[in-house]
Amino acid sequence: MPQTGTTATAATDYLETRRHELRKMRMLMIDGNLTTNLRSLEGGVSARAHHGGYWGFSSVPGAGGPEQVAQVVHQARSNAQAMGRFGARSTLALPGDSYVGEHRFSGKTELTPAECNERLQALHSFCKQRYPDVRSTRFLLADEHHSKWLTTSRGGQSLSSIQRALCYVTLMSNNADDGSPIELSHPISWKGSAADGDLSPEHLAPQIDLLYQHLQAKRHAVPARGGMQTVVLAPALAGMLAHEAMGHPCEGDIVLGGAVTAGLLGQRVASELVSMVDIAHTWKGQEVMMPVYVDDEGSPARDAVLIDKGVLSGFMHSRETAERLGQAPTGSARAYAPGDEPLVRMRNTVILPGTSSLDTMVAGVDDGYLLVKTGNGQADSTTEFMFSVTLAYEIKGGKLGSAIRDTTVSGSAIKVLQSVDAVSDDMHWDAAGYCGKKQPMVVSMGGPALRARAHLGGQ
Amino acid sequence: MNLQHIAEQALAALRQEGADASQATVNTSALTELNITHSEPSLLRSTQNHKLSLVGIWDGRKASTELSDLSPQSLTAAARALRGDAAAAPQDTAHAVSSGQQTAITRGPMEADLGALTDAAHDILDFRVKATPTMNIEEGAVSHIRSETQMLTSGGSHLQSTLGWYGVSVFGTARGPGPDGQMRTSSFNYTGGETEDLRAAPASGRFGISNMMQELTRSVATQGVAECFGGKFVGDVVLTPMAVATLLGWLQGQVGDMALISGSSMYRERVGEMVASPLLSLASRFDAPGVAAMSADGFVAPPLQLLQAGRLQALTPTLYGSRKTGLAHVPTASNGWELAAGATPLADIVRGVPRGAVVGRLSMGNPAANGDFSGIIKNSFAIDGGAVGTALSETMINGNVAQMLRDVVAVSTERIDTGGWCMPWVRVSGLHFS
Repeated sequence: MPQTGTTATAATDYLETRRHELRKMRMLMIDGNLTTNLRSLEGGVSARAHHGGYWGFSSVPGAGGPEQVAQVVHQARSNAQAMGRFGARSTLALPGDSYVGEHRFSGKTELTPAECNERLQALHSFCKQRYPDVRSTRFLLADEHHSKWLTTSRGGQSLSSIQRALCYVTLMSNNADDGSPIELSHPISWKGSAADGDLSPEHLAPQIDLLYQHLQAKRHAVPARGGMQTVVLAPALAGMLAHEAMGHPCEGDIVLGGAVTAGLLGQRVASELVSMVDIAHTWKGQEVMMPVYVDDEGSPARDAVLIDKGVLSGFMHSRETAERLGQAPTGSARAYAPGDEPLVRMRNTVILPGTSSLDTMVAGVDDGYLLVKTGNGQADSTTEFMFSVTLAYEIKGGKLGSAIRDTTVSGSAIKVLQSVDAVSDDMHWDAAGYCGKKQPMVVSMGGPALRARAHLGGQ
Repeated sequence: MNLQHIAEQALAALRQEGADASQATVNTSALTELNITHSEPSLLRSTQNHKLSLVGIWDGRKASTELSDLSPQSLTAAARALRGDAAAAPQDTAHAVSSGQQTAITRGPMEADLGALTDAAHDILDFRVKATPTMNIEEGAVSHIRSETQMLTSGGSHLQSTLGWYGVSVFGTARGPGPDGQMRTSSFNYTGGETEDLRAAPASGRFGISNMMQELTRSVATQGVAECFGGKFVGDVVLTPMAVATLLGWLQGQVGDMALISGSSMYRERVGEMVASPLLSLASRFDAPGVAAMSADGFVAPPLQLLQAGRLQALTPTLYGSRKTGLAHVPTASNGWELAAGATPLADIVRGVPRGAVVGRLSMGNPAANGDFSGIIKNSFAIDGGAVGTALSETMINGNVAQMLRDVVAVSTERIDTGGWCMPWVRVSGLHFS
């Protein structure tokens, strides 16, 4: 742990130092060719100081010995003081408790590169044999492990650890009409390293079989009808909706930046069937995929209830955004890389399950769409959101019809969530992507199936 | 720190481990950045970064690693671990490293001028107060970066660069009363760029920053397609430079390794053919601020004309992609592209649009392998009868990127130069609005 230089002085109102190690593995196999076989290790130490209403930050690579800590502390303090050239400002109190404790991830012994390669080759061979008409296969296997040792001038001292792994399976075929390439991906993610997941063909066969069936349907896809539609979002998409639609507009810094949510606390922003929470570390007695017990400011992490039965109930905060908005910190300030400062980030953002069944929800749609898979999404300060839809089906008379071509679903988050008239009792978790903001961040998202009205791109 | 010596030590360690071929790239960078948050100066940062990237090939088996510890012990351990990683990889005769490539590039300001950074921040903040007071700069940054790279290969290549440059970026929203008197927030927008001379012009006047901030203040009150146009329709878009850059990014992906190796590229057999409007000519600018004319796999990257009057001039596989596919190797740098200016003033382009939109940026997923896409148009304004009208919200367009490149009917004389790219406005017909 960083040892010295974490005492607040007259020259610094608040100080935190962080030693941060980030290990990554990435292997990409295209048609049996291992085109990427990369391991990386990035380590560094940083200091962030608050003085006279301004922040100073400094980081250097290295193991974080006493000299390096002293170097970054000195530079961070100097930087905060140098900001005084912009004039006097009120000092922030930066409220909140300080966490003392350690959380290490205990998983299986990490796979060797040879073992990783064997698993990818086995999956490639399985697909080649089982689906001879598939034109191309792609497997991306990656994991990353963040370890952060933190010391703050408020008495915080912690070790936190986040580890996640993912495997993207992509199959490519030809459009039945014009022969153009059609592809479909299936993301699989889990807590831990690659070793903590089961990548055997036997285990993944049902998922890959289903992917293949969807790909065959997509070869005959028809265009979606653009415009406002009744949509059933499969559980895998609810998390994306939660993250993009209301998650970002509920981040404290986005609220302070003028997001629409700033003036809506206590008001109805969704159907009363919708409750949304950014979970810190535990749900229903189980540790979640991205357990955050303490954030990178040393604040104890607690759940942030964002929407409670349709009413906007809270935001996610750092110490600064909490103070500026007159609320309590939630332990949501995290930094991605050793050279990054903490920003307000989501952790495990979910819509809570309801009581309906997905089959009933589909059967209740006379004319609409079942949205099954997504690629990426984006949010806006207006709460307008979008995410890509890479697999969806027509619903006609309560039954599934043709697959539709790639499209986009969008809308005002508030209008879409207010239109939700059914929530399933499923729960699906995913941690396969990155949240983008000023820095990337590993997050998880989850939810049940939802039925709502939203805008679909199409002809 | 002698980076060339570190790279030589790394190659020696890999040789010691019996590598048949290897590449060592050492980079150090120093960043000084002044941040603006919620329209106020907030943070000054000083960060340093070191990275050593190693590639080793043993008997056709390749592995790579990146590390930030540049000590001799770390190099030795990394080389040994890399040998183990490679042993696990399948043989692939396409793996190779460059040979005999030489270049030395030194360019730009090497030291951060904190006075210049402060003045640039003041200029942006002053512009906001005077010209766009309803706009909130949620995040702004003015920065100086110095980056030094030494790249050596076992084939005798030595490529080195020492670059210094400044960056400016602004991201924010505007807030104001709507027609009903209620306070509303605009969509966010952002822009920025790089330069080697921060004092050459006021920061707010560069990279389209002032224009972006002013347009945001006009984007608080919006209408959707139904209110504005009466419902879905087929019309034209006038893409701003940022949106054009997004479109061309798809094309660049199509001529790169992943699409070529997997066979999903629509352009693999089309070099020399017309793939886009004859109004489009896309060329490299591998001497842009912060860009060194060398590829990540160790080649000097000469100037490249990718599109000439709509005709595809080259595919751009890396050395590996070239050896894998049999296609000619064309090295490219990390960034630096420009689309040639056209012959039509922007005002005339807009006047020629009967129905459509000026599109600030496209918010969409990755286009499908065949180029199909749909996305929300952001920071956009309706065009009706050749006149720009209200800001649009909740408006989607639907089309095919490859078709859009062919359907470009006008290119503006004006361009925005962000350093990394220089793009005009472009009019495309036949998009589905909903």
